Amino acid sequence: MKAISFENFSYAYPKSGVVLEKLCFEVEQGSFTAIVGPSGAGKTTFCLAAAGVVPHYFGGRTGGTVVVQGIQTMDSTMGELAKDVALVLEDYESQLVAMTVEDEVAFGLENAGVDRKLIPQMVRETLQLVGLSGREQCEVGGLSGGQKQRLALAGALVTKPDILILDEPASALDPAGTEELYSLLGKLNEQGMTILVVEHDIAQVLPYIDQLVLLMEGRIAVAGQPEAALRKMSEESLFQEVIPPLQELRFLLEKHGCRFGAWRCEADAVRELSAVLQEAGEVSRSA
Amino acid sequence: MKQLAPLTKLVFTVAVSIWAMLLTSLPGLGLLAVAQVVTLAVCGLLGRTYKGILSLTGFAVVLILVQYALGSELEAAIAGGLRMIDMATVFVILLATTKMQSLTTALVSQCRVPQEYAFMFTTALRFIPDFLAESKAVREAQACRGYTGKGGIVRRFTSYLALVGPLVLRAVSRSETMALSLELRGFGAGRRSFSTDVGLKFRDYCTLLGMIALTAGFTAGRIVYGW
Ligand SMILES: Nc1ncnc2c1ncn2[C@@H]1O[C@H](COP(=O)(O)OP(=O)(O)OP(=O)(O)O)[C@@H](O)[C@H]1O
Ligand SMILES: [Mg+2]
Repeated sequence: MKAISFENFSYAYPKSGVVLEKLCFEVEQGSFTAIVGPSGAGKTTFCLAAAGVVPHYFGGRTGGTVVVQGIQTMDSTMGELAKDVALVLEDYESQLVAMTVEDEVAFGLENAGVDRKLIPQMVRETLQLVGLSGREQCEVGGLSGGQKQRLALAGALVTKPDILILDEPASALDPAGTEELYSLLGKLNEQGMTILVVEHDIAQVLPYIDQLVLLMEGRIAVAGQPEAALRKMSEESLFQEVIPPLQELRFLLEKHGCRFGAWRCEADAVRELSAVLQEAGEVSRSA
Repeated sequence: MKQLAPLTKLVFTVAVSIWAMLLTSLPGLGLLAVAQVVTLAVCGLLGRTYKGILSLTGFAVVLILVQYALGSELEAAIAGGLRMIDMATVFVILLATTKMQSLTTALVSQCRVPQEYAFMFTTALRFIPDFLAESKAVREAQACRGYTGKGGIVRRFTSYLALVGPLVLRAVSRSETMALSLELRGFGAGRRSFSTDVGLKFRDYCTLLGMIALTAGFTAGRIVYGW
């Protein structure tokens, strides 16, 4: 069973043109997918569709189906789907509904009817995961943007969903916070959670993802294994702005006959590049 | 007071309101007000609430004067003012000693208020700090673009109108996202549990009994002795 599968899915908001057009797309169980695309491409709508918010909450016109954990989203309700899928919204501030940090995280558990005695422990553990431990009693209104974003993540994580969808979850985080966030997501992914994230900074997610999707004007322009997808984007000049410079350099060098491994993080690149440079140095010296 | 269950405090609020209606004599009403202020002081909450109480008193004095000026008996006017103080102070006590979360929990699980209504209350409160922050942000944004809003009353008023537009738009979209977030997180689907314990303890039952006795006493007093 696929975690999420879009089958010929099209969607238009009540008062908009077609936003998603005939999407065919699958997310494997336990995989980590990153979505990129220009503004207005439909990334947020795509996330909403995977959680059943579209069309349940917004209405509008649809075609085709979305199946999440074997359930057709059309035949289910958002409350039902909430057991399997958690979503961190782009507008994370409005996602927060409670007065204090603790109540905010407990909210999803209460809705799921979790026994009261278990709640404080689960809340504490989750806050620790996202780096907010000790702030249980803080007022939500008094948190910084980045802290609110972490809190929104905690609220989504605490129910231990099978699938976690995050729409630009690092938009208010500092560089260190962003790295922490993705290494946490990477860890959760290793433990079996299926993760789908909208993120423009590909270099940040590259160490963890196993699928990269480029969405343009409501269609999937490129999808596949990250290196292949990046290569295709580079070759066909599709949304080239987001390709990490190191990867561009690598494609350039490969055109001149160099061969490299996967380069999931900068360390890989540095290691292989210095090897190549050393080789080149030896060649030029011996010549 | 803080250790009592929220339900007990809700009942206390209602009880004080009833007592304020039952009592007609000035000393009785005055005593009730004093007793409440003492309660606040004993709980160490007077420091946080005295401003509210003072402005309430000021308001009551104005009310008394107006009533008197409009031709009521002085005594009736003062009784009306005291009654207002009594009833308003009890709400101050309720809000100062009870967390919003436990209040909604009590309303939903013990008073059978539909959870949608109870939560409307808390989420509305959640809006206030955000709303203030946003109005500041909008004002700054407008100031950055050379919008001052200084000047006479009319200028001031129109400058406020310029603030209201973006604020309302933002508030509407916020409340939509929040409603979406509630549903996304499974609100209203199936049975809900509550993380705060609002169950009644021994001291709650004692307090409740005491309040019933007092109410009965006041009623009897009123009927038999015409207090
Ligand atoms: N609630 C709505 N009602 C009508 N149209 C909408 C609504 N939300 C989004 N749209 C439209 O759908 C299209 C895709 O929007 P979406 O928010 O999915 O883009 P996005 O890729 O997430 O963009 P961004 O990178 O700016 O977040 C846009 O053209 C937008 O105008
Ligand atoms: Mg978006």
